Amino acid sequence: MKNTPEILMVDDNPADIDLTSEVLAQSEGHFHVNAVNDGVEAISFLRRQGKYARAPAPDLVVLDLNLPRVDGCEVLSNIKSDPALARIPVVIFTTSQADSDVSRSYKLGANCYLRKPGNLQEFVAVVQSMAEFWLGFATLPQKEKK
Amino acid sequence: MRGPRQATGPSQTSFSVSAARAIAPATVAKGACGGLPEELDNATKKLRALIVEDEPADVELALCALRRAGLDAVCDVAQTAERFTDLVRKNAYDVILADYKLPNWNGMESVEILRQEGLDVPVILVSGALGELTVVECIKQGAADYILKDHLARLPESVRRAMRETKLRQDHRQSQDDLARSNRDLEQFAYVASHDLQEPLRMVATYTQLLAERYRGKLDSDADRYIHYTVDGALRMQKLVQDLLAFSRVGRHGLALQNSDCNLALQVALKNLEAAIQESGAIVEHAQLPVLVADSSQLAQVFQNLIGNAIKFRGSEPPLIRVSAELSGKEWVFSVADNGIGIAAEHVESVFVVFRRLHTHAEYPGNGIGLSICKKILEQHGGRIWVESKIGHGSTFRFAVPIKPTTKQ
Repeated sequence: MKNTPEILMVDDNPADIDLTSEVLAQSEGHFHVNAVNDGVEAISFLRRQGKYARAPAPDLVVLDLNLPRVDGCEVLSNIKSDPALARIPVVIFTTSQADSDVSRSYKLGANCYLRKPGNLQEFVAVVQSMAEFWLGFATLPQKEKK
Repeated sequence: MRGPRQATGPSQTSFSVSAARAIAPATVAKGACGGLPEELDNATKKLRALIVEDEPADVELALCALRRAGLDAVCDVAQTAERFTDLVRKNAYDVILADYKLPNWNGMESVEILRQEGLDVPVILVSGALGELTVVECIKQGAADYILKDHLARLPESVRRAMRETKLRQDHRQSQDDLARSNRDLEQFAYVASHDLQEPLRMVATYTQLLAERYRGKLDSDADRYIHYTVDGALRMQKLVQDLLAFSRVGRHGLALQNSDCNLALQVALKNLEAAIQESGAIVEHAQLPVLVADSSQLAQVFQNLIGNAIKFRGSEPPLIRVSAELSGKEWVFSVADNGIGIAAEHVESVFVVFRRLHTHAEYPGNGIGLSICKKILEQHGGRIWVESKIGHGSTFRFAVPIKPTTKQ
């Protein structure tokens, strides 16, 4: 029996977290969205530090680039340089269209770069296909047993 | 280039030649003949001169000539390149009077030193007879004038003229710098504003759409209408912001100038317009177009915007669009002619203004950005764009691209 896939969403915009959670809640995959609002929280969550000691190990990280305290790229490079976390697919989900952000993200090991669409229908479609692809179709390595 | 330094004037006590100390104080009361040029420092109304000279008597003669003409001069004297460099770094001078032949260096080297220091101070050669070729060479290298020591009477007028010219040059450079900076700021503002506006706007657009989706028909008909206006407004504003961003992006990263086959650029444009061409039944004819040095993706953008407009603003007939180019003097002039609705004479210039529209959104959609982007692209290529048109008789957009030497492939 499969567990509910755990998504960690790192975004400082509550409206985006709300909308994404809602779209995912209504989709068939029964995903569980954990949301944090900045890079420091994200790293604590992933390393299960402090109040996140009992946090689930995410199956997918949805990461904004423009974050308070520690920005998305730094979170990304933390994940990809940590052997315990590197296997987790990271989807960059941001408004930035800058080529420099795209190439930098992939260089740092992002698994996918998605731009947040400006209208509802596209937003819903992007979030649903992202979750379906990474947590449905894609074959990912097993989580390490602790 | 920096202008002359404003902070300090030459120190009257820093004569480097011992003999120069012996000469009378370099300032005298205002002479009777002729006033001081306006370009002089307003506070002191003194001419600040640096004299490159090894002969104290000649320094004195030059000063006398200036004073006789009413130029109240203070001066420093330099005999060596090192001393000269030191002085121009420390002090602001209005003019440099340089002898050509000095024991250890050549007075013309002062021009080169000033250039290296980024200073714009006129250098007047005050010398014994030099060969014509030498003089021409000195002027070419940047000397403002050449005065024979035997004809020092000419010196004051030469100084005045050199200072006037320098002032004009500096004012001109200043306004050019100001203009360039202002343009950069404006560009940056448009970019940042449109970029940062996108984020909150996206919230408004998605959430009003969500409202519309969830609550349509559940409130009352007024509410439905209000929500519709809000969604419509937010989406329109989004498009405006995106267009503004597209406009401010043109050339932000410089032009990718290369030998560009305009036939290929046109094909790219037609490919992008495929749906509109099919839907409207448009026929696009084109003559053989040249290869020229330009940014080919920007050229394609110009073709696309012009042909796209020709299709959008079509008359009752299916659009017939002719693209051609001809060599005219030192530029290629392209034409995109259509059989569309045409433009009234009073609007042939304003159509190129950003966000200028001649029709309502209901008549023709769009934000009025396309032609302003064409104009910006052509201006960046050193070219121009204009339109010849008559209401009901179609429009012919023409744009000129200057010919640059072809680059090596």
